[in-house]
Amino acid sequence: MNASDTTPRRWLWTGLILTALFVLVPLLLSLAGRSYFYQIANTIMIFALLAASMHLVTGVAGLLQLGHAAFYGIGGYGAALLATHFKLSFVFTIPLAGLMAALIAFLVAVPTMRLVSIYFAVATLGIGQMLHVITLNWVPVTKGPNGILLFGGMKLFDIDFSKPVPAYYLVAVIVAACVYVIHRLSHSYYGNALRALREDDQCADAMGINTPRLKLESFTVSGFFAGVAGALWAHTAGYISPADFNFNVSILILSMVVLGGLGSLPGAILGAIILIGLPEVLREFKAGDFRNIIIGIVLFGVILFQPRGLIGEVSALDFIRNQLGLGRKTKTDGKQMRVGWL
Amino acid sequence: MDYYLQQLVIGLSLGMVYALVAIGFTLIFGVLNVVNFAHGEIYTIGAFAGLLIFVTFAPPLVVVLLIVLAVGALTGVGLERFAFKPFRRFSDEATLKSRAMREATLMSSLALSIVAREGIELFFGSQFQALPLSHMLNSPIKIGPVTIVDGDLIIFGTSFLMLAGLQFVLKYTSVGLSIRAVSNNPLGARYVGINTDRTIAWTFAVGSGMGAVAGLLVGLYYGAIFPAMGFTPGIKAFVAMVMGGLSSIPGAVICALIIGISEALSSIFVSSVWQDLVAYAFLIITLIFFPRGIFGGARERV
Repeated sequence: MNASDTTPRRWLWTGLILTALFVLVPLLLSLAGRSYFYQIANTIMIFALLAASMHLVTGVAGLLQLGHAAFYGIGGYGAALLATHFKLSFVFTIPLAGLMAALIAFLVAVPTMRLVSIYFAVATLGIGQMLHVITLNWVPVTKGPNGILLFGGMKLFDIDFSKPVPAYYLVAVIVAACVYVIHRLSHSYYGNALRALREDDQCADAMGINTPRLKLESFTVSGFFAGVAGALWAHTAGYISPADFNFNVSILILSMVVLGGLGSLPGAILGAIILIGLPEVLREFKAGDFRNIIIGIVLFGVILFQPRGLIGEVSALDFIRNQLGLGRKTKTDGKQMRVGWL
Repeated sequence: MDYYLQQLVIGLSLGMVYALVAIGFTLIFGVLNVVNFAHGEIYTIGAFAGLLIFVTFAPPLVVVLLIVLAVGALTGVGLERFAFKPFRRFSDEATLKSRAMREATLMSSLALSIVAREGIELFFGSQFQALPLSHMLNSPIKIGPVTIVDGDLIIFGTSFLMLAGLQFVLKYTSVGLSIRAVSNNPLGARYVGINTDRTIAWTFAVGSGMGAVAGLLVGLYYGAIFPAMGFTPGIKAFVAMVMGGLSSIPGAVICALIIGISEALSSIFVSSVWQDLVAYAFLIITLIFFPRGIFGGARERV
C-alpha cells in the first residue's frame, strides 16, 4: 500500500455523521410525523449498538458469540426490575444494567475463555439458552412469558423522555457515545492486539499478548454495551418479555455483523440499519408476510456474492484510518505516519 | 418405581430421536468441519412432508417413512448444493484461514434455514398443525407394570434399524468408505481419487434423511407439528454431538440417549418447564471438564 498519506478529513466525516444523526434524521422523522417512525429509529439505533458490541467480540476478537441476546436480556430485565421495584430513575438504571450484564459476562467468560473456535461458540449458546429458560420460568421475579410493563415517565430536568423526540435524542446520545468507545477500542493498538489473537491466538500468545486477559476484557466490555442496549430497549419500548431476547435475536445480531462484514464497525451498523429497516420498508409496501423470507434471501445473497460483507474489514479500516485519522501519529517534523498494520 | 420405569422408556425414545438428528450433525461436521445450521429445518420438513403424504394418500406407515427418508435426502443434497458447495470454490490458503470466510459458510446454512422456516410458515401458518388422529402413535400397550404407547416402540425400532443401516452403509459400502475417508482427511481422500463433492452430497443425503425421519416420528408421537419445531431438538442434538466428541457417531448416540433419559427423569424432581436446562447444564459441564467430549479421541486443541 502506498505510504504517502492523504490528509485525514476527520472533522468533515465526524460532522457529517453527527449532523445526520442529530439533525437530518429527526427532521425527516418530524416531517413524517408518526411516532411509530421514532420507535423504528430507536430500534435501529439500539440494534446498531448491539451489532457494534458483537462486532467487538466476534468481528475483532474472533470469539463467535451465539448468546449475545442473553446479555441484552440481562440489561433489559435489570433495568426493568430496578425501575419497577426500586423506582430508580433511568439515569441510574441504564449504567447499572450495563454493569450487571458486564458482571454476568465476566462470570461466564472466566471458565469458558480457554475454549477455542466452535467450542466457545457452543458454550455461549448454552449459557444464552440457560438464561433464556430462566427468564421464561422464574415467574416470581421475571413474571415469565407475560413480561414486565414499565410504568411512569422518564423525567429529568422537566423533560419528559418518554415523548418521541426526547426519547430519540436520549437513545441517539447514548448509542453514539457507546459506539464511539467501541470505535476507539477496535481501531487502536488494543484493537490490533485483539485482531492478532483472532488470526492466531497461539502466535499472539508467543508474541507477548496476554490472550486470556484480552478475550476476557473484550467479552466483558461487549456484555456491558449489550446490557446498555437492553436497558434502552426496556425504557423506550415500555414493555419487555422473554421473546425479545431469545436465540433468534442472537442470530439476528450475528447476521447484522456478518452482513456488514466481520471486523468492520461501519459494516455492523449498516447491517443493523438494513436488517431492521428493510422489514419496516416492506411492511409499508404491504409485503408484511414475506418480510422474513426476504431477510433470509438478502442474507443468503450477500453471503454468496460478497462473503466478506457489504463493507469488508479491509475497506472499513482503510476508510477509518484515512478519513477519520485513527491509527496515525504526528512525527516531530509535523508529518503524519501510519501506525499499526495496513 | 413404575413411574420411574415409564419415564425411562419415554427418555429412551426421546434420546433416540435426538440421536437420529445428532448423527446428521456429526456426519456433516465430520466431512466438512462446519456446523449445518439448517439441520433443524430438515427435521421440520420431514414432519411436514409426512403430514402432506398422510393427508393426500394415506399410505401405510412404512411407505411414509421411506418417502420421508427420500424427501429428507433430496432436501439435504439441495441444501448442500446451494449453501455449502458455492463456498468450496475458494481454496487458496488465505481464504481458508480467513475468519470472515469461515463464518460465511456457517451463515449461509443459517440464511437458508430462515428461508425454509418462513416458507413453511407462510404456507401452513405458524400455528400447530394436527396430524390425522388415526395415524397417531399413542395406543397404549401394557408391559408388566409399565404402560407405554406403541409410538415408543416404533420410534425405538425405527431408530435402531436406521442406526444399524447407517453402520452397514459406513462399514460395507463404497459410499461409506469414501465418507469415512473424507472425514478422516479431505485432502488425502482427493489424492487417492475420491470424488469429494459427490461424497459430501452423499453425506448430506444420509444425514438429512435420518433427520427428516426423526421429525416425522416426533410429529406422529405428539400429534402436532409447527414450523419452529426443529429448533429445540436441533440444539439438543448439537449438544449431544459436542458431548460425544464432535466426530464420533457412537459417542453422539450415547450422549443423545443420556440427554433424553436425564430430561425425562428430571421431570420427576422438578417442573417440566425446567427440563431444557438439563441439556444445557450437561453441555457446560462437558465443555469445562471434558472439553474434548466424553468419547472424543485425541483431537486438536479445543
